[in-house]
Amino acid sequence: MIGLFLDTILPADPELNMPSGASIGIEAFVRDAATQTSIDEYFILLDQLAQEKFERPFKDLSAENRLQIVELSKRKNNRLANTIILHCLKAYYTNETILKNLPAGAVPPFPTGNILEEDDWSLLEPVYERGRIYRSVSS
Amino acid sequence: MDPVDVVIVGSGASGAAAAWSLSRDSYLKIVCLEQGGVSDASKYPAHYPNWELSRNGEASSKPSERNNPADYPIDDRNSPISIANFNGFGGSTILYSGHFPRFHPSDFKVRSLDGVGDDWPFDYEDVELFFNENEQMMGIAGLVGDPAYPEYKKLLPPVPMGPMGEKIGAAFNALGWHWWPSYSAINTRSHGDRGPCINLGPCNTGCAQGAKGSVDVTYWPVALRQGVEVRTNCAAYKIAMDNENNAKGVHYFDEKGVRQFQEASVVILACSGIGTPRLLLNSKSSAFPDGLLNEHGNVGRNLMVHPLGYTEAVFDEDLKSSIGPHGCCILSQQFYETKADREFQRGYTMQVLRGAPPMETAVSGYMMRRIPLGPDHHKSFSKYFNKSIGIAVIAEDLPDPENRVELDPENCDAHGSPGAKVTYTLGDNTKKILSHGTSKSKEVLEQAGGQVTSSFAPVRDTGWHLMGTARMGHDPKTSVVNAFGQGHGVRNLFVVDSSIFVTSGAVNPVATAQALTLKICDNLRNNLSELMRST
Ligand SMILES: Cc1cc2nc3c(=O)[nH]c(=O)nc-3n(C[C@H](O)[C@H](O)[C@H](O)COP(=O)(O)OP(=O)(O)OC[C@H]3O[C@@H](n4cnc5c(N)ncnc54)[C@H](O)[C@@H]3O)c2cc1C
Ligand code: SF4
Repeated sequence: MIGLFLDTILPADPELNMPSGASIGIEAFVRDAATQTSIDEYFILLDQLAQEKFERPFKDLSAENRLQIVELSKRKNNRLANTIILHCLKAYYTNETILKNLPAGAVPPFPTGNILEEDDWSLLEPVYERGRIYRSVSS
Repeated sequence: MDPVDVVIVGSGASGAAAAWSLSRDSYLKIVCLEQGGVSDASKYPAHYPNWELSRNGEASSKPSERNNPADYPIDDRNSPISIANFNGFGGSTILYSGHFPRFHPSDFKVRSLDGVGDDWPFDYEDVELFFNENEQMMGIAGLVGDPAYPEYKKLLPPVPMGPMGEKIGAAFNALGWHWWPSYSAINTRSHGDRGPCINLGPCNTGCAQGAKGSVDVTYWPVALRQGVEVRTNCAAYKIAMDNENNAKGVHYFDEKGVRQFQEASVVILACSGIGTPRLLLNSKSSAFPDGLLNEHGNVGRNLMVHPLGYTEAVFDEDLKSSIGPHGCCILSQQFYETKADREFQRGYTMQVLRGAPPMETAVSGYMMRRIPLGPDHHKSFSKYFNKSIGIAVIAEDLPDPENRVELDPENCDAHGSPGAKVTYTLGDNTKKILSHGTSKSKEVLEQAGGQVTSSFAPVRDTGWHLMGTARMGHDPKTSVVNAFGQGHGVRNLFVVDSSIFVTSGAVNPVATAQALTLKICDNLRNNLSELMRST
C-alpha cells in the first residue's frame, strides 16, 4: 500500500526524467519515520473514504481517483495526512537518485563541491559612484 | 583541582576569541569549561545525500529538536521569536551562516544621534583595531570600498554571488539602492591551514570542508597550541564568591555528572545572551539572593534578538540559487541609517539569501499549496527549485527591560540546573521597520522580474542573535558590566559575549561581539597582574 500511495502522490514524470516514488526504494524510510500505527490509521482512512466516494478500496481506484481521495483525506484528518505525506516528500527529496536527476549539484555535496562561474563585479560601479552612505559621528 | 589563572565558561564565538587572546601570554594557566561535546567534521551531514534531514534533528538550531543532553531547556512560548543556538565546542558558530558585517559608527551612538536606546561607552574607532584583528583570525571574505562603511583594510575575495546575485544586484542598481557582496566568515581561498569554500551549501549543518570560520577551526586550534585546556561536557552551574566580593571560581558538573570546583583568579563568562544571564542568575547566595551582578535587577533584561522579516520570489530562469553558501551572497544597507522621512528610528540590513535546497523546496511548496501532489508535482517543483531568491530583513531591535531572560526552575537541564524562560514582545519601532523592510524587499524582487511568493514578519524560528542581557555601561544602576566587560562590584568577573551589547545594530552580531571580546581581553591582559595580586 505504501508503494501505491507513493506512486499516487509522486508519479513518474518521464519528460523531466523523474522516477516514481515507489521505484526508488524509499518505503522503508517512510515506515521508519512514521509510526506503524499512524501509517495503519491513515491507510484505513484512505480505504474508508474510497468506499464512501467510489464504493471500492483505495487500491482498486484509478490514479486520478486515488489522488482525489488523498486530497479528501487532508480535509478529514489534516494532521495525520500531512504527517505521512511530508515523510514521503522528505524521503523522496533526500534520495540519491532523485538528487542526481534534479540536478541538485554534487551528491552528497561533500567532498566534490560545486562551481559557480566568475561574477561580474563591475555591476557595483554605480553603487561605488554614488559615494558614502554611512553616517558621520562626531565624538 | 589545581587553581588556575583564568577560567572561561563557554567555547563559542566569544569564549574562543578570549581563550586565544589571553593565551598569547603563555605563562597563564587557562581552562575553558564547555557544557557540550566536540563535533566531528568527518560526520557532518554534508557527507550524506540526506543531509537536509539533519536540519530537524542533530543539526537543528532549536534545542528542543536536537535531543542533546548538553542543551538546557528554553521556554520561549512568551515570545513571537524562538531561541536558536548550538551548545558544543565552538558554540553556535558550528551552525551559523558566517554572515559577518561589522557594526557601523552610528551604532555606537544611538541615543545621541536618534534619541532612542543608549550610547555605548566607546566609539567605533575604539573597536576598529579589534575588528581588523578578529577578521584576520576568522578569515573574512568581501570587497573593500563599500560606501556603507568606513574603509575595511583587507578582505579575502568575495563569495561568488552567482547568477542570482547578478540578477538581484542589477535590480538594486535600477532602483538606485546600495548593495555589496556579503562580508562572510568563509575562506574563498586558502587561509591559515583551511581550504577554500567549495559551494556545498549546507553551512548551517556544519562545514565539512572547514572553509566556514566556525571557531573550532579558527581560534581554537591556535589557543590549544598556546596551552589552553578545554574541558568539554562540563556544565557550570554557579560562580563562587569570597567574602571580599571577588569571584573565587566556578562550580560545575563534569562529564560524569560529578560536582567539581575550579578555582581561578579571573572568571570570564561567554555562555551567550541566554546562557550568561542564566548562570549569573543561578549564582545565588545569601550575599547575592537575586544572583550575581544583579543588585539592580538588570541581569537578563533588555534582551534583543533582531526580529527578521522574510520575502521570497520565484523567477522564470534557472538561477542556480541553491548552490553556494546559503546565508552569504550580497547585502543591502540602503535603509540602515535613520532618515527623517521614515516612520521609525534606526533601520535594517537586507541580507539576500540563496534558494532553498530540494527537500525544503518540496516541503514548503507543498505546505503553502504551491506544489501539488500527483501528475503536476514535478513540473511545479521545477518552477521553484533553483529559481527562487529570498531576502531577510534584519531589524535593529531597541533595548526594552521588559524583554527578558529569567530562570525556569520548572524545567531543568540534565544536571537539575534551572532552564531559561524568555519573555519578548516586538516594539512598535521594530514593527514599523519590519513592515518597511518587507515592502522594500518586494519592490526589489519585483524589479528583478520575480514573482513574490511569500512575505512575512517576524519569522518565528530566527532567534539566532542574542544580545543585551548583561549590558555594559558606566552606571551600575542601569548596566551589569562596565566598559571593560568587568562586573560592576566584582572586579575579577568579566562578561565577553554579546550579552554586553548596549544596542543591537542591524547586522549579524559575531563580527562585533568578537571584536569586543578582543578589546576586553586586551585590556585584561594589560591589567592582569594587578588583578591577580589583589584577588
Ligand atoms: C543557525 C544560526 C545561524 C547564525 N548565523 C549567523 C551569522 O550569519 N552571522 C552572525 O554574526 N551570527 C550568526 N548566528 C549567531 C551566532 O552564532 C551567535 O551570535 C554567536 O555564536 C554567539 O556567540 P557566543 O560566544 O555568545 O555564544 P555561543 O557561540 O552560542 O557559545 C556559547 C557556548 O557556551 C556554552 N555554555 C553555555 N552555558 C554554559 C554553562 N553553564 N557551562 C558550560 N558551557 C556553557 C554553550 O554550550 C556554547 O557552546 C547564527 C546562529 C545560529 C544558531
Ligand atoms: S558553502 Fe562553503 S562554507 Fe558553506 S558549507 Fe559549503 S564549503 Fe563550507
